Amino acid sequence: MTDQLGALTTIFTEFYYWVTVVLMFLIHVGFCMYEVGASRYKHHQHTLMKNTMLIPLVTVTWFFFGWWIYWAFPTGPGIAPSIMNESAALITDESTFSAKWYMPNTEFMAVNLGDHISGVFWAAFLLFSWTAASIVSGAIIERITTFAFGILAIAIGSCFWVIDAAWGWHFDGWMLKILGYHDAYASGVIHAIAGGFALGVLMVLGPRIGKFSSSGEPRNIGPRNPWLVTVGLFLIYTGFWGFYAACNIPIFDLGPEYGMEGVTYWTATNIYVTPTTLSGITFNFLMSLSGGLLAGYWIAKGDPFWTYSSGLAGVICASAGNDLYHPIQAMIIGMIGVVIAYKLHYWVERKFKIDDAVGAVAVHGYAGFVGLVICGFVLNGYPSSGYSVGAMWDGSTYATINPLGQFLGAIIMFVVLGLIPGYVIAKILNGMGKLRIPRDVEIAGLDYEMMESAKSDEKAVSSATR
Amino acid sequence: MATVTNWIDHLSAKEVVGAVYPGAGSSETLLVILGIVLWLGWHVLTAKSESEELSRLARKKHGANDHKSNITDW
Repeated sequence: MTDQLGALTTIFTEFYYWVTVVLMFLIHVGFCMYEVGASRYKHHQHTLMKNTMLIPLVTVTWFFFGWWIYWAFPTGPGIAPSIMNESAALITDESTFSAKWYMPNTEFMAVNLGDHISGVFWAAFLLFSWTAASIVSGAIIERITTFAFGILAIAIGSCFWVIDAAWGWHFDGWMLKILGYHDAYASGVIHAIAGGFALGVLMVLGPRIGKFSSSGEPRNIGPRNPWLVTVGLFLIYTGFWGFYAACNIPIFDLGPEYGMEGVTYWTATNIYVTPTTLSGITFNFLMSLSGGLLAGYWIAKGDPFWTYSSGLAGVICASAGNDLYHPIQAMIIGMIGVVIAYKLHYWVERKFKIDDAVGAVAVHGYAGFVGLVICGFVLNGYPSSGYSVGAMWDGSTYATINPLGQFLGAIIMFVVLGLIPGYVIAKILNGMGKLRIPRDVEIAGLDYEMMESAKSDEKAVSSATR
Repeated sequence: MATVTNWIDHLSAKEVVGAVYPGAGSSETLLVILGIVLWLGWHVLTAKSESEELSRLARKKHGANDHKSNITDW
């Protein structure tokens, strides 16, 4: 950096992403609180450790290969050519945004005085990865082994969600070109895929002992600490706000980027490098949150667990188009998503005996899926990218946003990259006898030995004071 | 091992080298291999210890409410 304006822009951008990472850390704090609050006392500590250990597991694998996948896979490979090198192969050439620079042994994956962005951008995406894994974690509490969860967390956090991000979130992604896919704040890219993945795992894992009566009627195993759950969800809201900021590029000159001769247009952009404003998305974040809370309070008859979760589901549902919606559209979309997710949760629970302990499949999966579909109708005809406008299936230009493309995109997120991999990996782990904890341990409580040992320690301390 | 031994010399060079961590340009691949070994080793060790813990606890056949006798009073 040799001129002051360039230095200010670079360092502002570096600091901007760094702040979003710190804010997004609260998502994980919230998820930990939420999960522990939802679990029973005898499982608390293992539940907490399961979710906590996804942090290092996903981080390390994200460093080794997750970040590389994001930059290598926008073309499919083989589905649509890159706008950078016009090849449909994996992007590993010498171009600026090539995955080549993000191999774990390159000099850009470390302290580098010539690169102020890679680390903070890597971390912003990493925090999205934790979220994807954490969504799955809540659904499967109290009966999965920590080993199996670690494998599943790596699969969703450092592999499958990154593939969908390369396909549908990267400015060069084939889903934008072929389908006109638009998902600015990740209704599908994070939430639908993680919800679908959780459902796939749950189908193999089975319900907690006692969740269903012998006649198949579901029993409610409510949160054991509603206050921890609600504070956890408040923290997730807070972190989610940071996530919204992290999905933007804070300052960018679109004139030269789009090849507009002599035009200078500085703006914030969404992840697709199309213009939006932090101001606009703040309207929409809060209005969709409000829509979710209003609908959740109504449909769940004031139940705090569902009302708080519905606030989150409202934002998730509107997120696909929250870069462009009117705030009241965002609110209504949030309300629709919540009603559908809530109804679908109980229908699936009864019909298929799926025990989703925290409603993660509904809040993230169903609300995200519905949000993508609605976005296709409300933003029908908007360009999916600023680089060009073309027809659906064309592949060399960018299709406009449309209902069919969004619906297919939702299927790819929820089913193809979510449910199917979750189901298959869980099946393999189950076949190895590594998926579920033994029945006797589930009954006794995962923390039994820890509690027994704590009790004897307390007795010793107590007797020493007499 | 030190990549930089004098900041004035380093920053006044015609082309400033960005990578300033110890072992820059020579140790990265080795570090990645070491990292992968540590990561895989962690999985093996913790999977073994978790299996042992679960088998031990399963053998004891505790009831659903036995843990309540372990809730500390103090």
